[in-house]
Amino acid sequence: MSEALSYFTMAWFDLGLLGLTALGTFAGIYIGAIPGLSVTMAVSILVSFTFGWEVNQALALIVGIYIGGVYGGSRSAILLNIPGAPSSVATAFDGYPLAKRGEAGRAIGLSTVMSVIGGLIGVLVLASAAPIIGNLALKFAPRDYFLIAGIGLLLVGSLAQGSLAKGIFAAALGAIIGMVGMDPVTAEGRFTLGNINLMGGIHYVVVMIGLFGVAEALGMLHNMGVAPVKQKVDKIIPSFAMVMKFLPLSIRTSLMGTIIGVLPGVGGDIAALMAYDHAKRSVKKPTRPFGEGAYEGLVAPETANSSAVGGAYVPMLTLGMPGDAVTAVIIGALVIHGLNPGPMLMVENPHIFWFTVGNLALANIFLLVFGLMGIKLFAKLVEIPKAMLIPLILVLCTVGTYSINSSMMEVFWMLGFGIAGYFLKTFGFQMGPIILGVILGPLMDTSYRQAMSSVGDDPLAFLASLFTNPLSLILTTGLVLILLSNTPLMGLIKKRRAAVA
Amino acid sequence: MPKQRRLVGELAFAVLMLALSLVIGYLAYQISGFSSINSAGAFPLGVSLIMLLSALWFVIEAIARQPAEATGLAALRQFCREHFPPQVLGFLGLAVAYLVGMNWLSFYPSTALFLIASMVYLRKGGVLIAAAVTVLTILLVYLLFTLVFSVYLP
Repeated sequence: MSEALSYFTMAWFDLGLLGLTALGTFAGIYIGAIPGLSVTMAVSILVSFTFGWEVNQALALIVGIYIGGVYGGSRSAILLNIPGAPSSVATAFDGYPLAKRGEAGRAIGLSTVMSVIGGLIGVLVLASAAPIIGNLALKFAPRDYFLIAGIGLLLVGSLAQGSLAKGIFAAALGAIIGMVGMDPVTAEGRFTLGNINLMGGIHYVVVMIGLFGVAEALGMLHNMGVAPVKQKVDKIIPSFAMVMKFLPLSIRTSLMGTIIGVLPGVGGDIAALMAYDHAKRSVKKPTRPFGEGAYEGLVAPETANSSAVGGAYVPMLTLGMPGDAVTAVIIGALVIHGLNPGPMLMVENPHIFWFTVGNLALANIFLLVFGLMGIKLFAKLVEIPKAMLIPLILVLCTVGTYSINSSMMEVFWMLGFGIAGYFLKTFGFQMGPIILGVILGPLMDTSYRQAMSSVGDDPLAFLASLFTNPLSLILTTGLVLILLSNTPLMGLIKKRRAAVA
Repeated sequence: MPKQRRLVGELAFAVLMLALSLVIGYLAYQISGFSSINSAGAFPLGVSLIMLLSALWFVIEAIARQPAEATGLAALRQFCREHFPPQVLGFLGLAVAYLVGMNWLSFYPSTALFLIASMVYLRKGGVLIAAAVTVLTILLVYLLFTLVFSVYLP
């Protein structure tokens, strides 16, 4: 216990780590707030720079950026009606009307405090649930991993906006990209087209920087002329009575956000939208009607998206499965530093777990400080013209990609993925499922083959094992239910029921 | 409820994706054929089948929608206008020139040229501001990446 505590407080008393966490949180707020710069983009580029660092330093900086970035998006949502990040889409619904009423300062103050409350609840759940899940995970068979990864891909495919078919396609495409290169078991080349350069596979940071950096920048070229509206910002720190008033709602939506964050593949964006919907249904007398500046409509998404961060770490640290796109990148960072995210991480490197928990808590405290400061300067920074931002993004993407392997070839790959991603986005395909596919595809491949080997390559025995083991049965049922609820079949059943009634 | 209209080029793109999944299916088959349920190619084959099915699904979805407003050559023109507006094409051209040019000019000079050129191009003027921002960026990149992160640059 004392050991856990010492790891927990490691970043609190080490000046270097403390500084990196603070720097990360501060930078994260601005990265999240500037529309077009996303946390995923920042973390993907950053991971490539921190190769040579010590793992604790890299993690401290990344945690800060993650916490700051998820919150930062709310600022531009409130001030400009442009969500700085997907997780703050719901924040704009009531945040911007509040700013138009001249209450931007109070809205930002309240969303800061609520983000911190949500974030801390998420950390608390992480600290208490992860060890239990981690212990349980030691009993998971390969087929269970196969099923959980499948559920994750299906969830992210189906919950992404637009069509389920496109979501599944994107996830499958990602899985194929992830499998390019030498097969880890038989050393056969897969999807290499006979090209020796492809035998090593495509580094997924290259794919990420392409899809989240370049594709995003190309998309921004379409709406260059959106001019921000200037808002008056004052009275930032919310009153204690106000915070207490929204505390019950914030606890509910925080727990909701954490649980959604835990689900593999689904993160803060979905959590925020669902929490907003929950607030809309459950709050009978909002301060104002929803959509016209209700504080409840601000509290719900802001607590949920911040608490989802803690949740997203749960499957990452216990199962080695990303809870969302950012944790997918962090898994990469851990692997690069020679760690093996998964059930054994808690056993072999418990310090990484407690260090992360302590760091997340610390980043939330920094968030409270930085969130309530420097808002006036901030209002100027988010107005940075896109004509300057877009070329800068490309330069950063180039530096980031090149620094992985010092390969110009990979830089061109990155540009290629960017252009492909731009087209896919144009026609309604999401980038999230692709990147999760890249991470989860190879994992599913390995666990599928281990599971098959364990039943002597007998497909019938494999199918039977999905139903006979209690845990596998639960997972299989979940998978089937998610699939069914997304098909026209469910619609038909509902219609029948309605007709009968 | 009136049916949603297809985007220009949506059906063509969907069919292209269908073709892509067929190619991927063929490549997956080439890995180890149908030799074993537990071969290097077994899972890729399964994934490519899922890709193929979902691609078929959204091709059907696209067909079920009302056709896009423009057809034939007019559609192609509209497609280019919507998805390849001059600034996208121009910026992509600059980006490729930047990456290719890096081989001869090395990182800093080519980055400086690219930043000035693309900012002037996107803002349609403002050489002085572009130059100032470029100098500032180069300085920051040098401080951050060369000195702090010690990243090796081309």
